[in-house]
Amino acid sequence: MTTAPASASSEWIRVEGLTKKYGTVSALSDVAFSIQPGEILGLIGPNGAGKTTLFECLAGVLPPTSGVIFIHGQPLTVRSRTRTLFYLPDAIAPWPSQTVRWVLDFTVGFFGGRRDLVGDVIDGLALSPLLTNTLGALSKGQRKRVLLAIGLLTSQPVLLADEPFDGLDLRQTREVAAILQSHARAGRTLFLSIHQITDAARLCDRFVLLSAGKVCGAGTLDGLSALARSKGGAASNLEEVFLALT
Amino acid sequence: MRSPKSAWMWLLEKEWRELLASRAWWVLLLVMGPLVGFAFISSVRSYAEASGLGGTATGVGEAFSPLVGIWAPTFSACELAAVFLLPFVAIRVVAGDRQSGALKLELQHAMPALARIATKALILLVGWVIASVPVVAAIILWRSYGGSIYAPELATVAVGHVINAGLTIAIAAATASIAEHPATAAILTLTATVGTWILNFIAAVQGGTWERLASYTPTTMVSDFQHGLIRLDALIAAVTLTALGLGLASLWLRLGVPVRRRAAESIAATAFALLVITAGTATTQSWDTSESRLNSFSKPDEKALRSIAGSLTIEVHLAPEDPRRVDLDRRVIAKLRRVRPDVNVRYQSATSIGLFEQTSAGYGEIWYDIDGKKAMSRAVTAESVLETIYSLSGVGPEAESGDVFRGHPLMARPARAAMVFYVLWPALIASAAVAIRN
Repeated sequence: MTTAPASASSEWIRVEGLTKKYGTVSALSDVAFSIQPGEILGLIGPNGAGKTTLFECLAGVLPPTSGVIFIHGQPLTVRSRTRTLFYLPDAIAPWPSQTVRWVLDFTVGFFGGRRDLVGDVIDGLALSPLLTNTLGALSKGQRKRVLLAIGLLTSQPVLLADEPFDGLDLRQTREVAAILQSHARAGRTLFLSIHQITDAARLCDRFVLLSAGKVCGAGTLDGLSALARSKGGAASNLEEVFLALT
Repeated sequence: MRSPKSAWMWLLEKEWRELLASRAWWVLLLVMGPLVGFAFISSVRSYAEASGLGGTATGVGEAFSPLVGIWAPTFSACELAAVFLLPFVAIRVVAGDRQSGALKLELQHAMPALARIATKALILLVGWVIASVPVVAAIILWRSYGGSIYAPELATVAVGHVINAGLTIAIAAATASIAEHPATAAILTLTATVGTWILNFIAAVQGGTWERLASYTPTTMVSDFQHGLIRLDALIAAVTLTALGLGLASLWLRLGVPVRRRAAESIAATAFALLVITAGTATTQSWDTSESRLNSFSKPDEKALRSIAGSLTIEVHLAPEDPRRVDLDRRVIAKLRRVRPDVNVRYQSATSIGLFEQTSAGYGEIWYDIDGKKAMSRAVTAESVLETIYSLSGVGPEAESGDVFRGHPLMARPARAAMVFYVLWPALIASAAVAIRN
């Protein structure tokens, strides 16, 4: 694994030697990277790279085979995880018989989310016309926007979102990216799994490149470009960097 | 500003809304009316016919007890629903979150898994109580016909069915949490519930240890409650198994815990539960809440039996499936054990049905032994058995007082019942379902 340098003091969450095996098959191998406060970190990788597995290990949905996750230098506990991270999975269709309005209220009430953000999130994600609809009656893109609203309303300082743009059209993708950026500017740390490299390049401050369960590089675009060039590859944009390093 | 409702209250509301959205629950509600209604109407008719034919002569009073004549068959509809319909409602509520992915979101709240599963179980139990409203209608109708109601025995039957429903919910919750797919959970749940019927069948054929095991199946427990009998050991077993089911569900509901660890914890929890149940089998306490003392000898007989000094041993030479043994067990030995838990009953037989043993020497004999003094009889009625024991011990009962149960015959037609159960109830449920969906 090759990692572009990051300031150790600014590390908030640090992952070391994370491995996940299903029998003899390794989904993740010795994954290591860090997350810094207030940044938008992009997890880039092709389908099957292990992005969802990595998120689910971080969120406690899957038990890792080995490895340690640190928060502020301390090993992650169940309590510190629920206080720090909120994970928004991809391809879920929760509470299909409940209305969007009720689900947002439930998010605020049950998860201790931020009621002061409800209006802004509804406006930003254009959910007003959907509030009385049940989640089961929504299209894939509409449901994705509701799920993003759930994630944005939660109060944990770090939001892990798996494929936040999946199912959205170009205009919606740009609008959602703007909302995510505004939340990051307000102090929320975002760790986004994105397989569309152009979307990631437009939005993220730093990147973790994952391929076949291994981290091929981690850092800013400049840092990764330098790394790619040192390996003799073209590095004028994130796509070329990705191809050079994976 | 934070929501004034606690997280648990939000979860409770969510589970309630999910139950309301469950088609399986609405089907259960819809079916319960005709199911209970059919059982009630049939039993009222039979009761009326028997009342008209039998009159109120002393000695047949037990036949005219509403407990046996009305409530046991009426509540049997609940048992049927608990076995074949309730598991699907429970599985839908428990497995639905896993299927939809909601579980991945909800489990990010620090609430313990046991609290989550207990919340689901609570809502399901409330759903079951609502589904049991047709039974309340049956009670009101029975009262309107002038029928007698003895609250303790009626309450015992109702509590028995609630406990049975709780046990079914716990089993369904456990299987729904362990199995990856709701269909697998449904198969496992039916295997567990219907499987106990097989145990009862084996017990009827084999007797012995199987019979002892079968006395803790839901069917036997419900049957005891339906006869107004509350057995502490069965109660301990039912409550422990319910707790085990919910405990297993909470262990398997957790995400991010290795399967091996969950399996080890499940084995430990099951072992502990079996220990508690085994310890519970040592208790002999029971309460007969039936007005007719269906499960007890008369008070003077009980007093006399308690006063017999020395140990009582009964050796029964009858096969498990011999009707005489079944009569002896149900009508005499069960009552005797309640008064004299120390009674030692031994069964001797070479076959299970006894058909080819009839000519064997000694078959059909029942030997009584009180501190070395022995007597033999072939009779299996309570009166004959007690007479043999009294003559052997030299103890006899005092004269019976006047408060003997004479029964409550009632020649009433089940008026308005068909309208209530077959028309009004389904219409009410259909209207409520449409109103809630809208």
